[in-house]
Amino acid sequence: MVQTLATTLVVASLYALLGAGYVLVYRASRVLNLAQGDLLTLGGYFLFAAAAAFPGAPAVSLPLAAALSALTGVLVYLVLMRPMAGHPVFAAVLVTVTLGILLRAAIVFVFTDRTRHPLQNLALTNPPRPLPGGAVVSTFDLVMIATATLLFVALFLFLRLSPLGIQMRAAGERSLLASQRGINFHGVFALAWALAAFAGGLAGIVYSSNVRLEPSLDVLGLRAFAVALVGGLDSLAGVIPAAILVAAIEVLSIRYGNPLLSDVSPFLCLLVMLLIRPWGLFGTKEELERV
Amino acid sequence: MRRPVLIAALGVLTLAGALPAPAQAPEPYRIGMTAAITGRFSAGYAPTYEAYRAYFKRVNDAGGINGHPIEITYEDDRGEPQRAAAAAKKFTEGPFILMINASISPTYKPVMTEAETVKVPLLFGGGVCPREAFPPAHPLIFCSTSYGSKWDSRMALNFIKSQSAGRKVKVGFAAQDIPLSRIELEFAEQLAKELGMDAIPVVVVPGAASDFTPFAQNLKDAGADWVFSWAPWGVEIGVFEALHRIGWKGNYILYGHQQAQDELTRLKTPNLHALTGNAMFTENLPIHAEITSLVKGQTNHPPHYMAEGWTSAMVLDAGLRKCGWPCSREKLAQALAAVNVDTKGLRGGPIEMTAENHYRRETYYKIYRWDTDKSAIVSVGGWQKLDIK
Repeated sequence: MVQTLATTLVVASLYALLGAGYVLVYRASRVLNLAQGDLLTLGGYFLFAAAAAFPGAPAVSLPLAAALSALTGVLVYLVLMRPMAGHPVFAAVLVTVTLGILLRAAIVFVFTDRTRHPLQNLALTNPPRPLPGGAVVSTFDLVMIATATLLFVALFLFLRLSPLGIQMRAAGERSLLASQRGINFHGVFALAWALAAFAGGLAGIVYSSNVRLEPSLDVLGLRAFAVALVGGLDSLAGVIPAAILVAAIEVLSIRYGNPLLSDVSPFLCLLVMLLIRPWGLFGTKEELERV
Repeated sequence: MRRPVLIAALGVLTLAGALPAPAQAPEPYRIGMTAAITGRFSAGYAPTYEAYRAYFKRVNDAGGINGHPIEITYEDDRGEPQRAAAAAKKFTEGPFILMINASISPTYKPVMTEAETVKVPLLFGGGVCPREAFPPAHPLIFCSTSYGSKWDSRMALNFIKSQSAGRKVKVGFAAQDIPLSRIELEFAEQLAKELGMDAIPVVVVPGAASDFTPFAQNLKDAGADWVFSWAPWGVEIGVFEALHRIGWKGNYILYGHQQAQDELTRLKTPNLHALTGNAMFTENLPIHAEITSLVKGQTNHPPHYMAEGWTSAMVLDAGLRKCGWPCSREKLAQALAAVNVDTKGLRGGPIEMTAENHYRRETYYKIYRWDTDKSAIVSVGGWQKLDIK
């Protein structure tokens, strides 16, 4: 049971990191970023490239990969999303779909389709860590949980306390008033994209260190999309219970039910949520109506 | 003035008629290949395409076969059945004398249907061999790939039995949620029981699983001493690594796809065994050096990924030589059904096909693992043979 709980927390942490990316972009700009899974993959490949460039130097490679991920978010906004201002939202969503396809192709072109393991070049190992109650997790399982926890604490503090965070919330919640107050919308949107890509990149960095890195990791983004919708697309706080719920159902279906259900369980959760509470666990009803 | 010009023109025309006509390029052997060159599954199949290109470039540079070049048209099916069907349609409607499939198993059926309809021989050169190549073979279906369903399980379970030294072992099975993998491991589960082992029901793993730990936990909780996995590489190695992470101390045997050599070296765990039909390039055979030097600069993959495609190209080469010129579809099918290919050590023995057996009369396996003392990959017991009947 303890092992099941530990695994649930690891999977939930992965989904929470990815889910945060969806929510951050949506809250700020009302755009569904369907390339979030590809930003995860890209983060992993940034780590692989950084580790190859600076072998045996994780203190350089890990922050460099995270920084490149955030920078990618800014570039995506400046090059692709900013020109979409004034166009219907669905056009911007289609741009994110295209972005995902292009990123996948670019990754195969640059890094090939081979499975990679960045830890080899980082000179790090991933030994098992026994937990109380007989459970065992890997070191990077613990890193995944710690990363998600730290990111969410930092995001909450940033959005609640920092002037820039408050501007982000204002731009998302009352865009007209915010614009009249002189908030720099493009700066806020670029920051939202940077944070989303950073969160996705962190997920990719830790996942590729723990499991594997290959161009097809973007499928994880689809599962996390269900998490973001279950939590409420405009609610960062909703991501956490939604991630735990979806991960728990997935892990429990493998352990005590039919393992094949695990593949569809995030979408079953989503379906149930859409039937009983379409705006998600912590989303706002008005927001849904506006959409 | 006019007369000399006329005479000169007549002279030129006469001379031109006397000269031999410019040499026409010999007509090629036209072959069509549908392969997962890109897409989610390309890692396992693109190397076959690359090996074919390198192999037949060398053959063509040396003058071709029977004086005719080999022209292979490659279609990227991305591992999608509908694309493979479209490629097969194109090949069967064109002047192609053979189709090659180097793609995932869901592409088999549409390509086989097309081959059957128009009576084009079909050679499987990248994915698992379909049962239609085994005795009694379908007249048009051939397979050069090192792995074949049922035979691989027999060898893996024989190995587990031989390693258990008379002790009753409990064996678990990790399949992927694709029909071929599930059917194979359900067969293995039954076979394990017949061999006197305790068989744990097959654990089926979705290929896109976000975490393999719960699946591994099921195998660990069931008390598996050994786990056998026969699936695409991601699931095979993913379940092993998850078992390793949660502290499982048993032995694991998987089918050694092209990635196995890299992964045995990376993981350095002596309880991971790779069952394979190809000699690993760590053995440094002359054929390995030959392939390595020939594909240099022509592939995105390491040379040892080429073994499967290279062997397949050798089979096609032998078939075309036997077929002669002109070579029709029917004649090539007959020629392939009688090839006896010296694999130069890439495999444990020759690939010998017969009218009834389009797989091979004898198949050979090696089992490799990491030896901590030697800090190297070693084979456990050398080549082992199975008669295909």
